[in-house]
Formats: sequence, C-alpha cells, structure tokens
Amino acid sequence: MNVLPALALVSLTLIAGGYLVAVADRLIAGACGWPRQGNPWLAPLARGAWLYRQDANVTEAPDRPAWRLAPALYLALAALGLALVPWSPTLIASNLATGVVLWGSLEALATVAIFLHGWSANAPLALIGGYRYVALGLSYILISMFVLIGVVLPAESLQFSQVVATQGELWNVVRQPLGLPLFLIVGLGLTFWGPLNLADSTDLAGGTASEVSGPPRLVWEIARMAMLVAFSAIAATAFLGGWQGPWLPGPLWLALKMLAILLALLWLGRVLPRLAPERCVTLMWVVLLPLSFVDLVWAGLEAL
Amino acid sequence: MSWLERLAARAPVPVYPLLGIGGERVLYELALAGRVARVDSPRHASVLLVAGHVPAQHHEALKRVHDQLPRPFATLWFRSQPLPGLENARRADDLATLADELVALHRELHTGQRGSSPRLLPDEPPNPWQGLGDDGHGGEGMMGGTPYGRPMAMNMQDDIRDGLTLDSLTFRLGPFYPLLPPGLAAEITLQGDVIQSWTSLSSAYPRALDAIFQTAREQPVSIAELELARARHHLRQLYLALRLAGLESLGLQALRLARGLTPASRINGLRRRLMRSGFFNLAALDGGVLDAEMARRLGGPAARAAGIDADLRRDDAHYRRLGFSPVLSWGSDTRARWQQALGEIEQSLALARRAVDEGDPLTAAPGNVETPCGPWRDRPSPAAGGCLDELLPGLEWDSALATIASLDLAPVSASPPPGEASAESASASSGSHEEGAP
Repeated sequence: MNVLPALALVSLTLIAGGYLVAVADRLIAGACGWPRQGNPWLAPLARGAWLYRQDANVTEAPDRPAWRLAPALYLALAALGLALVPWSPTLIASNLATGVVLWGSLEALATVAIFLHGWSANAPLALIGGYRYVALGLSYILISMFVLIGVVLPAESLQFSQVVATQGELWNVVRQPLGLPLFLIVGLGLTFWGPLNLADSTDLAGGTASEVSGPPRLVWEIARMAMLVAFSAIAATAFLGGWQGPWLPGPLWLALKMLAILLALLWLGRVLPRLAPERCVTLMWVVLLPLSFVDLVWAGLEAL
Repeated sequence: MSWLERLAARAPVPVYPLLGIGGERVLYELALAGRVARVDSPRHASVLLVAGHVPAQHHEALKRVHDQLPRPFATLWFRSQPLPGLENARRADDLATLADELVALHRELHTGQRGSSPRLLPDEPPNPWQGLGDDGHGGEGMMGGTPYGRPMAMNMQDDIRDGLTLDSLTFRLGPFYPLLPPGLAAEITLQGDVIQSWTSLSSAYPRALDAIFQTAREQPVSIAELELARARHHLRQLYLALRLAGLESLGLQALRLARGLTPASRINGLRRRLMRSGFFNLAALDGGVLDAEMARRLGGPAARAAGIDADLRRDDAHYRRLGFSPVLSWGSDTRARWQQALGEIEQSLALARRAVDEGDPLTAAPGNVETPCGPWRDRPSPAAGGCLDELLPGLEWDSALATIASLDLAPVSASPPPGEASAESASASSGSHEEGAP
C-alpha cells in the first residue's frame, strides 16, 4: 500500500478506535455501578478539551525532552503495531514479511517508553511506576514470544497476512486454546490496564502520569487507548481469523473481532483488583510462562 | 467563548480533595455524585476542595498543594477558612449541594466568569541547588551533593528483602497525600518499591465518628442505632480500601449500602462479589502483620483480627442479653483485618435486627464506649505513631498502603463537625437499603 493511504488507514483506526475505547470504558463503568459522569459519548471529548486547555506543568529539574517525547513514542508504537494488521487480503498498511517479529520488538520498546515517562518526571511516585513496569515487562514479553511463535508455526511465516490465511479452516483460538487467554494477559500488561496497571496505579496517585497535566497528559491517555486498539487488532488477527468471516466484508469482521477483544479487556479492567506486584511476577514466571511452553508444544505437535 | 471552552466546561469535574479535620465525609458524597471525579494527584485536578479545618502548622503544606494545580484551577473551601490571598475563593457548608458547587465552579472557570486561583508561593525550588553539576540528570550532578536540599538517590543501604540492592530514594509524603489518613506525614526511604525506612513526621488528624458514639459516652443510646453506625463506619473504610485496590465498583456498592443502611440490610451480595473478584487472593493484603503486643495496644478490630478477645461491649449487660460475643479472626495481617471488618459488619447488622425484635433496648450504662476503631480515646494511641515505623519497612509500596488503609490510626474527635450529625441521620432516613430485606 502507498504511504498516504496507509497513514490514513492507521490514523483513522487510531482515532475512531481510541474514541470508542473511551466511550466503551464509560459504558462498562456505568454497568459496574459507577455514577453516571454525563453523556458517555460526549464526556471523552469534553475531557479532551479540558486537558487541552489545562497548562502543562513542570516538575523540579525534569528531563524535559524525554518527558515530552515518551507519550509520543508510546503512541508511535501503537500506530506501528496497527500498521501491521491486514484488514483484507489487499488492505494492509504494511505487509511486512517479519511483521510478528516487529510486533514483538514493539512490546519490548513499550517498556522503554513507559519507563522513560516515569523516570524523566524526576519525581518519586512516577519513578516507582517506571520501576514497576520494567519489573513486569520482562515477564509478559517472554509469554508473548512463546504464544506468538505458536501462532506462526502453522502459518510457516512471520507475516500477519499468512497467519490470517492459515485460519481459513480453523481459527487459532480453537486450534491453540491456551493462546488467546495468555495473549489477553499480555495485552493487560502491555497496556498496563486494570489488574496489571502497576505503572499508573491508584496507590501511586497515577504513577508515571502522576506529575503530568494538560496536553502531554492528553497525548499519554490517547496513546494508552491507541495501544489497546492496536493490541486488539493484533489479537484478533493472530487468534480470531483476522478479516475472515462469512457474509460481511473483511474489514467489518476485523472491526467486530477487535471490539470483542476490547470489551473483554475493558471489562476485566473494571472487575478485577490490581495484582500485588510480587504476586504478579510470581504468577507470570511460575504459572503463565510454563503454560506458554505447553501452548508452544501443543502448537508444534499440531503443526506436525 | 470558543466551542473548545464550552466543551471543556462540560467535562466531568476532576477534584483533588485536601482533607483537614473532619473532612473525610466529602469523599463518600463525591464518590456517589455524578459529574465529579476524585483524583489523587493535584496535577490532575481542576478544582482543589479543601474540606475541614487545616491546622496552622500545615498551612505551608496546603499552599504547596494549592500551587501544584495547573492553571486554570479554582478552590472550594468546605467548612474551612480560605488562606490569606484566596479571599475570593468560594466557600460551602452544605454537603448536599457540594457536587453542584464543584460543577458550577468548573464551568465558571472555563466560561471565563472566574479567573484561575492565584499562586501563593514563588515558583522556585524550596532549597537552593547544592549538587555538584548543573542538572539533575547526568554529569556531575549524579555523583553526589544535595541538590535542592535533598540527597541524591544513591546506594547508601543494603537491600532488606532479596539482596538486589538499588539506589535508595528518600522523600517526604503527606500530610495531604490522599491515600494516607489526613494529617499523617512521613519521611520514606525506598529501594525500588520496597520500603527501607518509614519515619512518621506528624500524626493523623482526629477523626469524627458518628455522633451517636459521643452520645453513648454520656447517656444510654439505642443499641440498634449504635450498631448501624458501626457497620456504616466499616463499610466506608472498606470503600477506601477497595478503591485503593482497584476495585472501586465494589467500593461504591459498599458506600451505597452504608448510605441506606437499616437493620434489614444484608451484605451477602457484597461479600460474594468480593470473593469472586479475587480481592482476598490477588490484591496486596499479605503484609502488615501485627505482633500480639502491638495488636493489643491498637485495640478494636485490629486486635480482634489478631485473635485477641477484647471488646467493651462484652461488659454491657444489654449486649450480653442480645447474645453478643466478639467476632475473632486469626492472622493479624491486612487480609485478616478486612475479613474481620466483614464479620463485624454482619454481626452489627444481626445485633441491630435482634435489638429491634426485642423492643430496641438501650445500652446499659454510659461510659467507656467501644467505637468502630476500638475503645474511645481522645488522643492518638501510643501505638499508632510508632506502629507504622516498625510495621512498614520491608513491605512493597502497594502492600504498605493497603496496611495503612486497614488500620485506624487517627484519634477520635469529641464531636462531629457542625452539620455532620444532621446530615448523617437525614441521609440514613432518606436512603433505602440496597440488598435483600428478610
């Protein structure tokens, strides 16, 4: 695909998807018992306008370039991830032969962006948020690698379009039943959402974002939503057959599958407590990592 | 006025609550009010809500919090006196209209009817730069010195948990950090997110309990009402802990239950949802183990959660006639204290029901009262101050804050703030109980 249409496709998905995440999260919160915070369709826009008008504060001796760039970097990682997603056999912003590897590297780079956001504020609570994410990051990235290797085995390719093509008969969610649940946990970690929100958590008064206000905070919030959208697209592509499906056009199928993943993540974020950091790391290494080995062995045997 | 300003004015109002003496009640009202969102960092707020009286020794800290709000922002002083320099700030005394006042203030701010609150302090570091370089990151500044009056995050102490030594980070928190009891301030040293040392600098402000506990010291009161007030207190504490644990939806359920509490109320649904959510298994509730001596000195539910059979209600003949015997838990950690709280809420509701069935008896005699925080005491328990200094080192940050949320560290104030008692009874009579009646 040419550069301009590819940019338009990614930008449109990020904007529409990010807005939808904000609305859906408010609707789910309402269903879970939160008092209504105004019209859920208007509230995200109003909040965006308020943040845009608020001053961007400065802490004492921050690393200003890094502090301002970290949200943009995280947003850029989300956009790059989304560019790898095939919407149909031909509608792909970047049909990279090593797309799965690139996605893996984006997950690793997210650790850098989030730590940078916490560290560069030069404030204690933000720094602890950054520390925590680094401690968590390695745990979930390993799980992600094994699960994704399981997905590329039947495709015999590292290209997401091939991963989708091999799911014509049977989706990976059925073929490798451990894969999607494990990958959803990776998604909660990558987006530090709900139970795995250790970086920007309540006990740290917002963690890496605790000292940020105004437009930089708006970019950070948009980036977090964009990453949820990008992750949902990758999960739908890797496990739910991507654009494949009867009757409806391919892009619509993918959008519906992304929405299902998004709703699952947002719902989990509202109904589960935040995991204690030590317990979280133990769970990842002692339970989930071995399960991802099992998933890989399963995928290998199935590929034979 | 631009469309952007009009849109910003319609946003849910982010409010940073700065709690003085007797200000806690606003948290519960704001949590259940639509259009207002409580935030935990002043950087995230549009309105600074100062609730309750702030003692003079903390006015400087108040000014520092005030000046951390990004422009445009406003302040609302609820049952509190604005600081000099903020004479034009809005004041409010009525809890029922507080949310409306906050929304109106935010709208005025963004529609140009009100200017941003003025800065109270000069925009300069509180201490001069005393580092070896000219910046906080890199260069000689990293090699030592005390930039801005604080030591650099240098590796000065061995790690006390797993031997993985990180740079020690020392900072002060409080007296208005919203996840600590109001008034409590401490100097904290961390390695990673493990607490290396905790030195309390000031105690929590006295806390106003429901007026009925004060009345019970002077004259016999209805046991049913006393027990409902006790259950209400525990439910509100549970809300704070659940919010901290990332389970605000369940916390709101507890608050709604507290608001409409009657003898017919049940907490079965809340308990079931708590178990299913994994609160007791996944959240950071392992820490804060009190030894027997400390538990005994703290008294109340903290002692009973450590298996210590101590409760002044046992000395009351009318309570004994209702079949009262203390609920006990074993474990004495944060988890045990929340299990104890649930047990005590259920017991209080059962006692209230039994009391109503038996003609609503009064307490046998005025005098020493078992409050929801333990025996009535006007001054901080001798254990409360030093308790955290001993208890928290070695805990992860999450676990430390969960421990603090599970302990009643504040002394009890002799009388509730003006309007508190009437607001309490009005809301109780107007509310309806949420979970199934028998």
